[in-house]
Amino acid sequence: MSVIQSVFRLLCVLVLLLTTTASGLHGCNNTLSHEYCVLGAGPAGLQMGYFLSRSQRDYIILERNAGPGSFFNIYPRHRKLISINKIHTGRRNKEFNLRHDWNSLLSDRPDLLFQRISQELYPSADDFPRYLSVFEKELGLKVIYGADVGRIKASDFNGHQGYVLTDQNGLSYECRVLLVSTGLWVPQQVGFRGSDLVEGYESIPTDPEEFKDQAVLILGKGNSAFETAQSILGRASRIHLYSPSPVRLAWQTHYVGDLRAVNNELLDTYQLKSLDGLVEGRLEDIAIVRREKNGKRRAAKKRNPTSTKKNESLYLTLTELLDDHNGTNKVTGQNLPGYHTDNFSLRQPYDRVIRCLGFRFNFSIFDGSARPPQSSGARGRLPGVTAWYEGRGTPNMFVLGTAAHSRDYRMSAGGFIHGFRYTVRAVYKFLEQRYHNIAWPTTNLPISQLQSWILRRVNEASGTYQMFGVLGDIILLQGSHCKYLEEFPLQALPQLSALSGHSVSDHGLLVLVMQYGLNQTDTLGPGRAESEWTKAWKSNFLHPVLYYYKTLPTDKDMRQRPVGWPLPRPEAVHHMVEDFLTEWDQPISHSQPLRRFLEHCLQTDLRAFYAESCFLLSLTSGNPPLFCHQGYLRKQGIVGNRHLWQHAREAGLMADAALSEDASVTEYLNHAGAAVISTVNFDL
Amino acid sequence: MCTVYLVAFVFILTAEQCSSSKLMEDSDLSLMERMQAGKTSFIYFGNHVNPTIELFIEQLQMSADALEDYGITVVMVNCSKDDIAKYCTGEKLLTKAYLFRGSEVLRSFDIDTVFDVNAIVSHVLFSVLFNEVLYVHTPAELLRVESAAKQNSDIVVGHIPVLGLAEHRALMEAAFVYGTKYQFVQTTGSLVLKHMGVVDPSSSQARLWFLNCKSVSRQSDPCSSTAMSKPLNTINIHTFLQLMEAPLVTEAVTDPSEVDVVYIHLSVPVLYLFSQPQTQHLDRDTAQTVALQLRGEVGVVLIHRDNPKVKTPLKYNVAYKLPQEDVKYFTLSAPEEVVKFFKEELLQKHKIEDEEEDEEHWSDLDILDDEVSESVYRDRDLLLDLEFVSELTADTFQTTVKQNKITVVLFYFKWDAVCMAFIQSYVEVAEALEDVNGVELAAVDCGEWTDICSDQNITSFPTVLIYRPKAAAQPYRGMMGTKSLHRFILLSLVSSPVHLSSSAEVMSFLEGDLYRKHVYLTPVRVLGLFSSMQDMGISSFEEAARLLRGETIIGLFAHEEAAKWVEGLSVNLPALLVSHGPALPHQVFSFPSSSATDHVKLIQRVELERFPELTVENLPWYLELEKPLLLLFIGKEESTESTSSLAEIKQLLGSGQLDSFLPCWIHLGRTPVGRSILEKYLGFVPPLPSLVISQIKTGGEVFLFPPERPLMAENILLWIRDVEDRHEQPAGLIPDVKWGPPVPFFDFLAIMDQEAPTYAAQKAPKTKNGGRENHKEQNHVTPNQSQGPHPSANPQAPRRHSEL
Repeated sequence: MSVIQSVFRLLCVLVLLLTTTASGLHGCNNTLSHEYCVLGAGPAGLQMGYFLSRSQRDYIILERNAGPGSFFNIYPRHRKLISINKIHTGRRNKEFNLRHDWNSLLSDRPDLLFQRISQELYPSADDFPRYLSVFEKELGLKVIYGADVGRIKASDFNGHQGYVLTDQNGLSYECRVLLVSTGLWVPQQVGFRGSDLVEGYESIPTDPEEFKDQAVLILGKGNSAFETAQSILGRASRIHLYSPSPVRLAWQTHYVGDLRAVNNELLDTYQLKSLDGLVEGRLEDIAIVRREKNGKRRAAKKRNPTSTKKNESLYLTLTELLDDHNGTNKVTGQNLPGYHTDNFSLRQPYDRVIRCLGFRFNFSIFDGSARPPQSSGARGRLPGVTAWYEGRGTPNMFVLGTAAHSRDYRMSAGGFIHGFRYTVRAVYKFLEQRYHNIAWPTTNLPISQLQSWILRRVNEASGTYQMFGVLGDIILLQGSHCKYLEEFPLQALPQLSALSGHSVSDHGLLVLVMQYGLNQTDTLGPGRAESEWTKAWKSNFLHPVLYYYKTLPTDKDMRQRPVGWPLPRPEAVHHMVEDFLTEWDQPISHSQPLRRFLEHCLQTDLRAFYAESCFLLSLTSGNPPLFCHQGYLRKQGIVGNRHLWQHAREAGLMADAALSEDASVTEYLNHAGAAVISTVNFDL
Repeated sequence: MCTVYLVAFVFILTAEQCSSSKLMEDSDLSLMERMQAGKTSFIYFGNHVNPTIELFIEQLQMSADALEDYGITVVMVNCSKDDIAKYCTGEKLLTKAYLFRGSEVLRSFDIDTVFDVNAIVSHVLFSVLFNEVLYVHTPAELLRVESAAKQNSDIVVGHIPVLGLAEHRALMEAAFVYGTKYQFVQTTGSLVLKHMGVVDPSSSQARLWFLNCKSVSRQSDPCSSTAMSKPLNTINIHTFLQLMEAPLVTEAVTDPSEVDVVYIHLSVPVLYLFSQPQTQHLDRDTAQTVALQLRGEVGVVLIHRDNPKVKTPLKYNVAYKLPQEDVKYFTLSAPEEVVKFFKEELLQKHKIEDEEEDEEHWSDLDILDDEVSESVYRDRDLLLDLEFVSELTADTFQTTVKQNKITVVLFYFKWDAVCMAFIQSYVEVAEALEDVNGVELAAVDCGEWTDICSDQNITSFPTVLIYRPKAAAQPYRGMMGTKSLHRFILLSLVSSPVHLSSSAEVMSFLEGDLYRKHVYLTPVRVLGLFSSMQDMGISSFEEAARLLRGETIIGLFAHEEAAKWVEGLSVNLPALLVSHGPALPHQVFSFPSSSATDHVKLIQRVELERFPELTVENLPWYLELEKPLLLLFIGKEESTESTSSLAEIKQLLGSGQLDSFLPCWIHLGRTPVGRSILEKYLGFVPPLPSLVISQIKTGGEVFLFPPERPLMAENILLWIRDVEDRHEQPAGLIPDVKWGPPVPFFDFLAIMDQEAPTYAAQKAPKTKNGGRENHKEQNHVTPNQSQGPHPSANPQAPRRHSEL
């Protein structure tokens, strides 16, 4: 243990004494030290807490609110979670069932699943904090509630960059490693003239009656916009949704952050011309203006929003149509687009304008030195992180949960519980390797077992299934054996050795990824599904893909990977054809093509042989096939029986020989059975 | 008319060999008469003979025989004798031949075109049939022919890439015979080939299709086409057309072997399907569907079971008969299977040529080439019956494995062929042990109960673990077969070690009552001898015995009398005594160390026989010795030679002269695969018994004891010396090749590169300037619905997301 660590430990004990004996008496100079500080007790924070607690690390979870997952006390505003809680899958495979359980956190406790709290397919939002609470309590996670960290600064601890967090009481936390799981909760806003006249999703009334006979303009076309629209659909007179991009349907894009069909009733009323509609345009170009009853038009901006009268209508106009930017000019009819284009879509006034533009990461608590940069994607709403989820330029600070979604924004499920529970686990494994020298867990397999192990993973693994294209299984080939690493972040592949503690041998490596396909066909149209394994690469639905590399791809390879691919061009690739039932276990379409791919990568025959064939091959070949080597010659041959041999011989696959031996087996059994019955006592 | 031709048609097949030539030699007089008679004749005018002409005349003679059947006379006029005006003069003399109808020239041919009998016959017939056989170049022309023929007559389309070859002749001969019945069409172009759905029109294969136009009900319906799959020759065309003419399905009321249908006379495979009165319509439909798909290759007969003459057992629903073979019965579940079975298995086998090699090559990829997978796959219609095996779940697992004296648990995957092959043996064992108290066989499906399998650390499938209450699970490490597992479980019931308390019990253990109790499981007894219970070595011996439980019967005798058992032997206590059977001398060993694993190794080694019979199940134990094999093959029948040769080798065992070898034998009756070994070693099976030296691990050479020499001890020794001194020539060589992939790689990357060239290509290094410009252009934006003809909102607005 390093000196630092022991100092920390000491401090920690001291502080624990302090906090337990004199809790609430935080002096200004009080400092607590932990190896790991987890910021935020939401799903990601608690998930990380579970892993740290399991390996008995020195950690603390800091939460500003009084309970876990407080985001869910407010959001979604209309209180229905759209994350699937499918309990009845017809299967009892716990790993498989997690593929259809989007709310549970990972733990080794089978009873700590979300289904204990709710049986609803789309549960109530209130159930989620309750679940987190149960999770935290039953696993005994160390959470300090009511610690509102307002400032984070980087600090040097004997050459190691750590972080000091200060809460509202001036209490400081010294953290060797900071895990930021604060989520996204600052409402995203766009500045335009009249944006103060707009209500926010976070504060709109949720009682539909309040929207009775009102014309409503909603800015945004995501799930919160549609959720809001759906709730007032029966009361509002017309609902228009306005945002730059057209609606993206989750069932078309396979991205769960896009509009879910659960929320899309408005599409119906739009397309059936029932007074609702969708419009595209830039938010920065619009202005919301008000017009008074007496006919005098005034710039809306001048008015105080608190004095808004209900009957004063709001108009949407374009910045370029407003005469001046100083705001003193009155808005006349000429300033409205309907004056210029008589059939302008949004020419009618609105009673309310609601902003449903999502949320952004709270960068404000980070001091300059400790602040991660804004992500290049997602309109800079997220912190930029490395492929192993460490903040860019902020060593030893990792971002977890929704805030870490910049890695797979609009691609995979990393921004959602059912996705980030796995990335949190991956980050935890990185931590174990980096700070405790505990290598990424592996399963060592003889090569003859590789195929069935891959099939097992393909048919049950939830991490690679939920985090498709982002997490993949890595198989390090080592001759007659291989090491199997589960759910490694693919983008971190070039740094595999340093991050996992395992090196790549000359035999190369295989990567197993779940992927959606090219998605170039109509999602519900003909030809959407591929069933021919030889055309598996054209599969549109989620299907397993194996990549074979002779050497570890470099960062450059990764940057220049083919468009839309999760990984660079490999030495060889194998797509397992999509399956309607997502059961990749059929001998002709799935197993045999996979076996042949593995045979190519390993340059060896991977067929299975009956003991009799191995007997023949062992005596007549200096180098019998792998299956005989790893089975029969280790005295574990598959003997089979007369019936199966008959089949194999009829197929011309097994050397033909008279079948006299088996008759003796049956005789033997009869005889043996009889002898057993007559034996009085086995215990000598 | 047709039948007459038909007879002629068949006749020519034999008539071709006729030796006496039908070639006429005409004078100008006879030529005149011939022309006046108005007959069709093929005439060649020549004046002298050079080697080329001589060859041509030979072919002309042959064609005379062939064309006679079609009423065409072949004539040669010698211009040097009779100078016929017009034809016996000019440059064209010698290089031209003419087809006359009466005195009218139908066509003239270059003798380069009509270079041989096939060319002559095909061209002549083609000219004669000029009005009957239509020549088409394009699909459009073919469609015109089709629409004219609809509801009228069927069409035979022949694609002849090169005129004048045997295929062309075969088509023309067929056209001559069947021309009145069917509309014949000839084509040479690849356009029509494509139209007919040929994948690779560049192949120079002659092809034939039958278009069913006569039976189309409406003019707008297309004619269904059937391709002839066999090569284009007279017999095949004849058979094919007969088949197309025969009813799609023939119905019969006798057993398949009794049915007499046209197909049998045509020597094509016949498929028999069965029908029951209550499902008659359905069965008829099925038969029609199957027949349609197999049309042109297979005859289909529907047999009505309600007739007492039909004796086929109900369990069979399909039968087939190949030409010159007996009827075979089998059971299939779907019409597709029948078609597949026929197309892939029977017809492929009987195909003379691989016509579309490439296509077949890839469709081969769908045939399982793994003997275990294939044999399990063939049982896919059977439901897995785990009657005697209890299937454990997460709820029952822990309680079950604690309940019984021994719980044997198999961990398996349903989709793993090896597991499913083994599970059959497992069920057999369970059935055999059903009445044994205290033993339960159970199974865990790891596809479903993944948590149990992870908890039990199962990483290899199938795995069998033996659970006993209050003890760690013991892995079963033996052969995954009925016999081995059964024996292991029964042996596991014997406590290990067996504690023996007196010399009398030791006696009983080695050859008395205790011995006989388990003699059917193994004749071998291993006994640990210690001078007292206080001996420190006992615990590790007991540990070793526990590890070997189920494999060996091990006794422990810790007593002052133990010394008695090693008296006179050069070993002191503690010692290991091994008995291979009551009558056999005991062997004694001292322990090399005190570790349990060393004990295990020692016991496993001493258990091995000195002159074993090699079997499928025991070979791995002996191969571990890594010695060259001195291997005696003994025939199935008991013979004095066999017993004496065994005895001769046994005699040598004691001398130590065979110590560098593993002397062993294979009984071809009990281990029939031994015959294949001999064949691989030597390329033939020598007279048995036969002795070989097989240096599997050391050079791979195989030596055969000269069959003419008697298998006597001294001969064997001499021969061994010769082999060692390299005076003997090896009779065979064991290959030491690596087992590479058995089939070529199906390269998805290559296919992607071909079909979508940029899809799988790495990106070029980035140049950073795009993207931004787009933004500026969007400054002027008018919001609107992008659907209408309104001032357009820019649909290319940055594709950003606004909601998580």
